[in-house]
Amino acid sequence: MNRRLILVSVAILALASLGTLLVVGAPANQKSTANAASRPAKSANSSPAAQATITVDGVKDIDPDKAFGNKNAAVVMETFTDFQCPACKQLYTTTVQRVTDNYVDTNKVYIVHRDFPLPMHAYSRIAASYSRAAAHIGKCDVVEQALFQNQEKWEMNGDVKGTVAAALSAADMKKVQALVDSGALEPLIDRDKQIGQAIPVNQTPTTIIHTRDGQSYPVVGYVSYDVLKTLLDQLVK
Amino acid sequence: MQSAPFNYRRLIIWLGRIVIAAVFIFAGLAKLIRWDMHPRPPIGIATSLFALQIDSYQMLRPWAVLQLARWLPWAEIGVGLLLLIGWRLHIWSSLVTLIIGGFFVAVVRAYTLHLDINCGCFAKPEPLTGMTVLRDGSLFLLAVLMTVFAFQEARKPHPWSAPAPAQPS
Repeated sequence: MNRRLILVSVAILALASLGTLLVVGAPANQKSTANAASRPAKSANSSPAAQATITVDGVKDIDPDKAFGNKNAAVVMETFTDFQCPACKQLYTTTVQRVTDNYVDTNKVYIVHRDFPLPMHAYSRIAASYSRAAAHIGKCDVVEQALFQNQEKWEMNGDVKGTVAAALSAADMKKVQALVDSGALEPLIDRDKQIGQAIPVNQTPTTIIHTRDGQSYPVVGYVSYDVLKTLLDQLVK
Repeated sequence: MQSAPFNYRRLIIWLGRIVIAAVFIFAGLAKLIRWDMHPRPPIGIATSLFALQIDSYQMLRPWAVLQLARWLPWAEIGVGLLLLIGWRLHIWSSLVTLIIGGFFVAVVRAYTLHLDINCGCFAKPEPLTGMTVLRDGSLFLLAVLMTVFAFQEARKPHPWSAPAPAQPS
C-alpha cells in the first residue's frame, strides 16, 4: 500500500511539474538555428540579375518574379522544390495551388518559390532555368504548372524545352529561350540553392513558414492543404 | 518486508517500463513544448506542426491526422507515467505495444516507399533512415516482451502480498 502511495505521489508530482512547465515555460528570445541559418549573408555575386532581389519580413534574396502576394502579409511561405521530384509535383498541384487561391490572393500569405534542383535529377536544373526565365517575362505560373503536370513525360525524354514551348506563345518562348541561353538568371537559381543549403534543406519539397515576429517553421515533405490550413489560420489571425 | 525474487522476466519488465516510459514522456513533451525552437511556439502551433509531420507519412485522412496530432502527445505522456507507476501493467503495456507497433508500421512503410520525410518521433527535424527503423523495431520488440512477461507475472500472486493462511488439517 505504501509503495503504491509513493508511486501515485510521484506521478502527481510529475504531472504538476509538466503542467508548470507548459504554463510557465516562457518562450526564449533567441532565434532558432534554422531561423538564423535561413538568413545567410548576401553573397558577393554582382551580376545584374542577382542584384534584383528583395527582402520581405527578413527573408532575403527573394526574386520578385518568383514570389506572389502582398509583401505586408502576416506570413511568408518559402517553398524549396525540384521540378523532377514527384512529391514536389504533388505539393504544387494540390496544396500550393489552393494556398495561392485562399491565402496568397487574399493577401494573407506572401509565397516565395525557391528552386532547389537536386543533383540526382538529370533535368531538374534545366527545368529550373526555363521556369526562372518564364517568371522573368511574367509567365511563372503557366510554365511551373506545365512542368509539374507533364513531369512524367519530360523526365523520360528530357524534353523540357518542348514542354515549356507547348505552354507559351511563340513570341514568349523566343524571349524565354534567349534568357536561358544567356545564362543571366542562373545566379538566382544558385542563390536559392545556397539559401536552401544554409537552412539546411535536405530533401524536397521543404517549406519554411516565416511569421512577422521572426519565427520560422520548417515543414518537410508533402503536406495536404487541410492540415497546412490549420497552421496558416493560426498564424494569419 | 522482503524483496521480490529477481529473474530475467522481471528484468525485462523493469527495463521496458523505464526505457519505454522515458521515451514516451520525452517524445510527448518534445511535441508539445518544442524546445528545439526559439522562441517556443504555443501548444496550438506545436500541435499543428506535429500534424504536418504526421501528414507527410501520407497514411491518414486530414481529419484523422489532426485528431492524432491533438491527442497523441498527451497519450504518450499519460501512458509513460502509467508504465512508471506499474498499476495494471499488463493492460498499459499492451496499449504501449499497440502504439509502438503502429509507429513501427508507419516508419517501415515510409522507409520502403523511399518517402523523404522527417520521422516526427521527437518533433524536431530528424530524417527517417534505417537507424530510425532499427530503433523503432528494438522498442517494439522490448514492448512485446514486456507485455508477454507482464501477463505472465499478472497470473501469479504478487510476491509482496501476504501468504495465504495455512489451512488447519
